[in-house]
Amino acid sequence: MSAEPFKVWQCRTCGYIYDEEQGDPGEGLAPGARWADIPASWICPMCGTPKSDFDMIEL
Amino acid sequence: MTISTDIANTIVDPKAYADGDRVDQAFAQLRREAPLEVAQPDGFDPFWVVTRHADILEVERQNELFHNGDRATVVTTIEADKKVREMMGGSPHLVRSLVQMDNPDHFAYRKVTQGSLLPQNLRALEARIREIARGFVDRMAEHGDRCDFARDVAFLYPLHVIMEVLGVPESDEPRMLKLTQELFGNADPDLNRSGKSVTDVNEGIDSLQSVVMDFMMYFNAITEDRRAKPREDLASIIANGKINGEPMGHLEAMSYYIIAATAGHDTTSSTTAGALWALAETPEQFAKVKADPSLIPGLIEESIRWVTPVKHFMRTATADAELAGRKIAKGDWMMLSYPSGNRDEAVFEDPFKFRVDRTPNKHVAFGYGAHICLGQHLARMEMRVLWEELFARLDSVELDGQPTRMVANFVCGPKSVPIRFKMH
Repeated sequence: MSAEPFKVWQCRTCGYIYDEEQGDPGEGLAPGARWADIPASWICPMCGTPKSDFDMIEL
Repeated sequence: MTISTDIANTIVDPKAYADGDRVDQAFAQLRREAPLEVAQPDGFDPFWVVTRHADILEVERQNELFHNGDRATVVTTIEADKKVREMMGGSPHLVRSLVQMDNPDHFAYRKVTQGSLLPQNLRALEARIREIARGFVDRMAEHGDRCDFARDVAFLYPLHVIMEVLGVPESDEPRMLKLTQELFGNADPDLNRSGKSVTDVNEGIDSLQSVVMDFMMYFNAITEDRRAKPREDLASIIANGKINGEPMGHLEAMSYYIIAATAGHDTTSSTTAGALWALAETPEQFAKVKADPSLIPGLIEESIRWVTPVKHFMRTATADAELAGRKIAKGDWMMLSYPSGNRDEAVFEDPFKFRVDRTPNKHVAFGYGAHICLGQHLARMEMRVLWEELFARLDSVELDGQPTRMVANFVCGPKSVPIRFKMH
């Protein structure tokens, strides 16, 4: 069974991009960290927007 | 403690920002002794001075509790505020751009252009921006071994980029540069319309309004053109933008152009000029980037922190609130000092050192929350491309005289950065 493809999420306010494949090590998110596993209380590291205000995008 | 009149006067004094050290020292003292306190400079209404990084984030995050538009968004004397309100039918603003708006309007107006300024949509512009950057690097090389990096490169490159994005013809760029400098450099006799120090409030506001009117006349013609014949440019997006299904109001549309045409280049110009000034003074930092271009993103973030071209914005409390243990009353006016937040010792190690490998570097120069800079991704891309092209050819750089800064307390940075350099 193949692994679920990595997805990319973007902050609606500032455009910050979270790419599951790359993670964001500076924010404590290791490469491969899935969006679903990031706590709901997490906020955009650039502008503070809540996780619920991110959209999945295709790059 | 309360803020002394001396310090209060310093933090609004355009000459203190031109001096640099004087304003840095004032804010360093405030962070130590009165990080969130009320100041009342001579001739101004009292306002809270928010100096700490964490408190700036806290205010910006709560954009319903701390509004932009209820009072002046830039620190203004009582007399100037009165004059503007008389001219604008009671409004404290000469323009009504995203900066002066709160929700629901802010969200609706921001949405009009936000998509085109997202990183994935800017990628299509990179090849053209690189071509423009190469042109400026070539022009720098043609200067031989000396130039004024601010005037010859940094002021012109971001201007050219934003004017292309906006759709303004190249022949009008000198006019846009002059109007921008007159707007942000209203207190600087080298840049303002009168060519002299502004001491009379009426004269200062009249001068600002005449600059705004010139911008509006120019962009009125652009609006008509783009409504009739839309193109693939930002001006067409603004001209044809709809708010709740209706065309934008005239003042709002004109203000949208003005903010794109001014903030869209002046801040990047200041940051670019300030970066080379800093690199010329720190040869070891220059050598680091030269040896390892993967440090360019770090150079960009550090130069944005270092220059912090937007010195402050004001907010107004919409209700009684508590911030860092202090009681803020409904209607209180607050100055968010970005240079202070970006020198906050609690967040940045050796904040007065320019370090291209600073990690993390969570500066507040673009703001935070709903009002975070709309053009930040374009600014970063422009600077990255310029530094990639310049570092590929620049072998050394040093100062060739004393750089100077604009005399201004709102949006400002270097005015002149004379350098001696070697390129291949």
